[in-house]
Amino acid sequence: MDIDPPQTVASGVDPNSNIYPIAVLIEELKHDDLSLRLNAVKRLDTIAAALGPQRARDELIPFLEESIDDEDEILLALAESLGSFTDLVGGPDHAHELLGVLENLAAVEETVVRDKAVESLNQICRVLSEMQLMSHYIPLVKRLTMGDWFTSRTSATGLYSVVYERMQNNTEIADELRTMFVQLSNDDTPMVRRAAAKAFAPLVKVVGKKHLLADLIPVFNKLAEDEQDSVRLLTVEDLVAIAQTLTPAECKELLLQPLRNLASDKSWRVRYMVALKFRDIADAVGEDIIKEELVPAFVHSLKDNEGEVRSAASGQVPGFCRLIERDTILNQIMPCVKDLVTDTSQHVRAALAMEISGLAPLLGKESTIENLLPLFLQLLKDEFPDVRLNIISKIQQVNEVIGIELLSQSLLPAIMELAEDKQWRVRLAIIDYLPLLASQLGMDFFNTQLLSMCLSWLGDAVFSIREAATANLKKLTEVFGVDWAKEAIIPKVLEISTSPTNYLYRMTGINAITIMAQAVTPEVIKDQILPSVRLLVNDPIPNIRFNVAKSLETIAPLLKQSPDTSGLIESDVKPDLIKLTEDSDNDVRFFAQRALLSAQ
Amino acid sequence: MGSDLDRQIEQLRRCEIIKEIEVKELCLKAREILVEESNVQRVDAPVTICGDIHGQFWDLLELFLKGGDCPDTNYLFMGDFVDRGFYSVETFLLLLALKVRYPDRITLIRGNHESRQITQVYGFYDECMRKYGSVNVWRYCCEIFDYISLGAIIDDKVFCVHGGLSPSVNTLDQIRTIDRKQEVPHDGPMCDLLWSDPDDIEGWGLSPRGAGYLFGKDVVESFLHTNDLTLIARAHQLVMEGYKEMFEGKIVTVWSAPNYCYRCGNVAAILTLNEKLDRHYELFDAARQQESRGIPAKKPAPDYFL
Repeated sequence: MDIDPPQTVASGVDPNSNIYPIAVLIEELKHDDLSLRLNAVKRLDTIAAALGPQRARDELIPFLEESIDDEDEILLALAESLGSFTDLVGGPDHAHELLGVLENLAAVEETVVRDKAVESLNQICRVLSEMQLMSHYIPLVKRLTMGDWFTSRTSATGLYSVVYERMQNNTEIADELRTMFVQLSNDDTPMVRRAAAKAFAPLVKVVGKKHLLADLIPVFNKLAEDEQDSVRLLTVEDLVAIAQTLTPAECKELLLQPLRNLASDKSWRVRYMVALKFRDIADAVGEDIIKEELVPAFVHSLKDNEGEVRSAASGQVPGFCRLIERDTILNQIMPCVKDLVTDTSQHVRAALAMEISGLAPLLGKESTIENLLPLFLQLLKDEFPDVRLNIISKIQQVNEVIGIELLSQSLLPAIMELAEDKQWRVRLAIIDYLPLLASQLGMDFFNTQLLSMCLSWLGDAVFSIREAATANLKKLTEVFGVDWAKEAIIPKVLEISTSPTNYLYRMTGINAITIMAQAVTPEVIKDQILPSVRLLVNDPIPNIRFNVAKSLETIAPLLKQSPDTSGLIESDVKPDLIKLTEDSDNDVRFFAQRALLSAQ
Repeated sequence: MGSDLDRQIEQLRRCEIIKEIEVKELCLKAREILVEESNVQRVDAPVTICGDIHGQFWDLLELFLKGGDCPDTNYLFMGDFVDRGFYSVETFLLLLALKVRYPDRITLIRGNHESRQITQVYGFYDECMRKYGSVNVWRYCCEIFDYISLGAIIDDKVFCVHGGLSPSVNTLDQIRTIDRKQEVPHDGPMCDLLWSDPDDIEGWGLSPRGAGYLFGKDVVESFLHTNDLTLIARAHQLVMEGYKEMFEGKIVTVWSAPNYCYRCGNVAAILTLNEKLDRHYELFDAARQQESRGIPAKKPAPDYFL
């Protein structure tokens, strides 16, 4: 099978000349093979640089204008590269010469090509002079806006915010741009109206308040009442953008009704968008509206018929509650939260479990104990593993409010249960949480209640749990100190590492002692750890033997730290490693050699 | 070069493709290793046996999380690395790069999808075109497919193959004489090994797949007896529970693509054999999707979809 790409010969160019590669690329631009053309287009900047600005303008650009009839993949690469072509055609003075190709690309059928073309057009718009804008760019915007096909008009919407910012001091042009945008937002095709709704928010930021009130708010009102829900849902972002520009009083006067409509829209997708943006909306509209309108609307979202909407709203609970008074949270939001804990949709419960702990700092200690803890306990026992996982992973926040003692008293039984959860990620979350729990509970309590659990994880069937369990031992040693480790942990670990029944135990054992070595003193390494590592040098399983090499690689620098133990490197570590470099297994030899280098 | 390969492995682990020229070099090196392997590659226990992956890259990472990383855990993948899933390129190249880096720690055997014909229909070809813009990477990979072993034997006791047995094969030695360096044929022993399925019948039966055969308990028992084996491990068929032992535990199907095609709702399994060949099955679910859902579909959809 032929695996080399076919060679093309650039006609008439001496293969030794230094422009030869460029000639090949230019040749490839016209090649029949798609992959070669694509390759050439992706290196268009190299070609242009080699041609120089003059020839790039006179030859390359006209050629590109003709090659618009190619595969989408080529057009996409072309649309992307042209945005940064300004310097290659001779700087901003000539940048307008790129507009022709991009204008064509902005009208093609494929959306991704058009989007890239619009991006590149905006990029060029920023460097053009006012003269160039007037004579080249504005006419282009007009042509696209008036285009016969919706594709041109869709692309046009994306150009307005950037060009408007450049031209806002020219009243005549600015007026005209706004008029054209209004026209686009009234387009017959929903695709164009959708694009206009998307382009609306950036435009709000640049038009200034006067024109916003006079021209754009009517546009917004119209879009927000569009017959298509896919248009309406995009106006939620627009509403936020407008609200950020207006005073609270103006918001109340102008946005209240549309906001009410969107929040109670008959399409759940629109309500979902509102629920998802509640915090942003609340931030933008000011206190009065929050109190009078948003709280009831939020409660409504939390009780929506659609699970998706309830999920989105659940995710906003702490963010939104931060903006309202504590009494309101307790009286209005908490009852809903209580219902959501037993929601029929597991996704809603999972979303709530992820965020509910954020309420603790807002409620304060007593109220958290009274109102939140029971909900926590319930979620910890949820039948859906994601719910349990989410609640455990965010428990830290509650901890900070009510203190570990109280938390552990009420939650410890549930945590013990989760430590044996069938879902291994739940077990993992518990392990990660354990060092913190240990430092707060103290050694005695830990030894009696949790130690055996920590050790049992070392024999877990899931690799990631065994790995986390070994890392956990090191963290615990940092909490309780070396003496504790010497008594409580190391003997157990050594026992595992000599298990004759299953190599996996020995593997976990050696990984665990290696990690522990980094948390104890060189003396402990010398007396307890090194001898047991050396026992495994002759293990029948090669995987164990190369982990012995890795282990010695870690231990050697630790032994060097103390004069009492540094001699062991020559007497014990090196002979073992040398033996392993002569092993029958490739990987054992590799890791032994690497370890030997670092033991030098 | 070693560090270059390690860098490529890291890159592939992040599900980022490597350059076309790097694929070419990787395939050349892989070929040197695979050409030395027997049609029935010898493997030492302990080893973890995995079934079909089908381009479900994130689920492959999930598999490694449960089973341990290569090289610490030894792996045997029983084929069908590519097609159907959305990340066949990354999946196959990662496994191949691991094979080149740790040839003694990971064994790959060929599945019926490791073929030019099948990959042009079920997605791998299109994916290569989409991700590289040319057929070259697909061609390099197909060349490598031809070199992958047809089966493996663990500690002389457990025979691993993608599909199953063949009426033209009674002994492992007969498999060893096949010239495997070719596209999977439409019939004959090489085809059967990659296409056949066990079934509750006596003797041999026609396969509804149109290639390979159905074979019964008696066939399995006589093959085990003739070759002094204790178990046949194979993949090839979706099992909702991840694995399924048949014929009093003499043959097992292992399936390692959870929620197959992102819609079947099955769990996946790997089979760990320890140094004494004790079997331990570990089940796993599809990887979690961290991507935010954007404007949601009614059923929350994963970020990739067929």
